[in-house]
Amino acid sequence: MNTPDIVQRGGRVLPVVVNDRESEARTPANRLYRIPDAARDPFTPCPPAPFMRAGEHDLTRLAPGRPQASGEAIAITGRILDEDLRPVRRTLVEVWGANAHGRYSHVIDAGRNDAPLDPNFYGFGRLVTDDDGRYQLRTIKPGAYIARTDIGWWRPPHVHFSVVGSGVRLVTQMYFPDEPLNEKDFIFLIVPAADRDRVIGQPAATHAGDRAFRFDIVIRGRFQTPPDLD
Amino acid sequence: MASEDLKARFTPEATIGPFYPGAFLTHLPQDLWTVAPLVAHHPQGQPIVLVARFFDSLKRPVPSLVVELWQANAHGRYRHPQDQSAAPLDPQFDGFARVRTSDEGVLRFYTIKPGAHPVRRESAEVRAPHLRLTIFASGIDRLITQLFFDDESSNQSDPVLQSIPDPRVRGRLIARRRRTSGGGEGVGEYEIDVVLRGEDETPFFDDWDG
Ligand SMILES: [Fe+3]
Repeated sequence: MNTPDIVQRGGRVLPVVVNDRESEARTPANRLYRIPDAARDPFTPCPPAPFMRAGEHDLTRLAPGRPQASGEAIAITGRILDEDLRPVRRTLVEVWGANAHGRYSHVIDAGRNDAPLDPNFYGFGRLVTDDDGRYQLRTIKPGAYIARTDIGWWRPPHVHFSVVGSGVRLVTQMYFPDEPLNEKDFIFLIVPAADRDRVIGQPAATHAGDRAFRFDIVIRGRFQTPPDLD
Repeated sequence: MASEDLKARFTPEATIGPFYPGAFLTHLPQDLWTVAPLVAHHPQGQPIVLVARFFDSLKRPVPSLVVELWQANAHGRYRHPQDQSAAPLDPQFDGFARVRTSDEGVLRFYTIKPGAHPVRRESAEVRAPHLRLTIFASGIDRLITQLFFDDESSNQSDPVLQSIPDPRVRGRLIARRRRTSGGGEGVGEYEIDVVLRGEDETPFFDDWDG
């Protein structure tokens, strides 16, 4: 992608996700504009430190002490790193996903999806990375769900991740290994083949009795991590 | 090449999809005029309202689009560890908000007009007042752009705005001040259309290093 042509004329042309009507209608057709070097200060927001309640990293319960949602509880652990592999510390990570049946608690998933809601699962949570950029969360392994009935496009199980803070911004999706639907998913397939393993959680040692996956996130971009203040 | 090896490690970005949790908005500021119900809050500067309408390639409004706004305070200072500006911070202004478009694809953002600021400390080059937008929606990955104000003469020399060669394209980043203010006494209301794709497409920027 780093061709002289792009360096000279500007930034990327964003790819359209095939068979996704929203992508087709919303992805800019024009090449992105390169930010002039003189103004390459952070473009990404630095939100105020969030107030976190206990248990927000545990999506398997609506609140500590409430019953566990149905399905398989899993742990996802990893590190958030910048391009120089330095930890992204104390940054907000937001996570969301479908329930074990492939249904989101989101209102707009009602009527679209016959799969049942789970009264013990909202499917979203938050956490803040520690000083080593580490995070851990607990959720229910999401079910697959149909994205377009007319063409039979199923989304494989996946967990949505958003990282924001200190000038860092990234939204991605974590897939699971050995899911046959991965190779048929238009959103997964838009990831260049060489990078696909970077969006698949890797099996890890059991975590407090839960099957565990490791998912490290490396943030792209200059000026992304605040200077070491220690 | 070593830089290629480095690049290969980055995590690819993805769309937020259609089911982005509404709770992620209520956890963060959506309005920089107020911090909480009934709390007297006085950010420094001129209160403004930005009314932005978002369209797709078929000129349909884009509902449930998530926009993160980030801006300098009235003195041109960002609350960011890397902002080395000599301008003061405003204790009552963080400059970050996360908002979502209505069913009509409209976003109303209550804030104060950001100050101009030098490109870097002690630089003679000046950034015109602008809002930094990060845009998310089902079907697209993160998009970034900056919006300017039509009553600011510093637009003529802003290095980001002027880096767009075609003046018509440049104009798509400039919000127009409405004649009559809808937000009350002394409140400037600015409007702009953001077109994600198609005719009159808004220019977006690339913060990946090429
Ligand atoms: Fe999803």
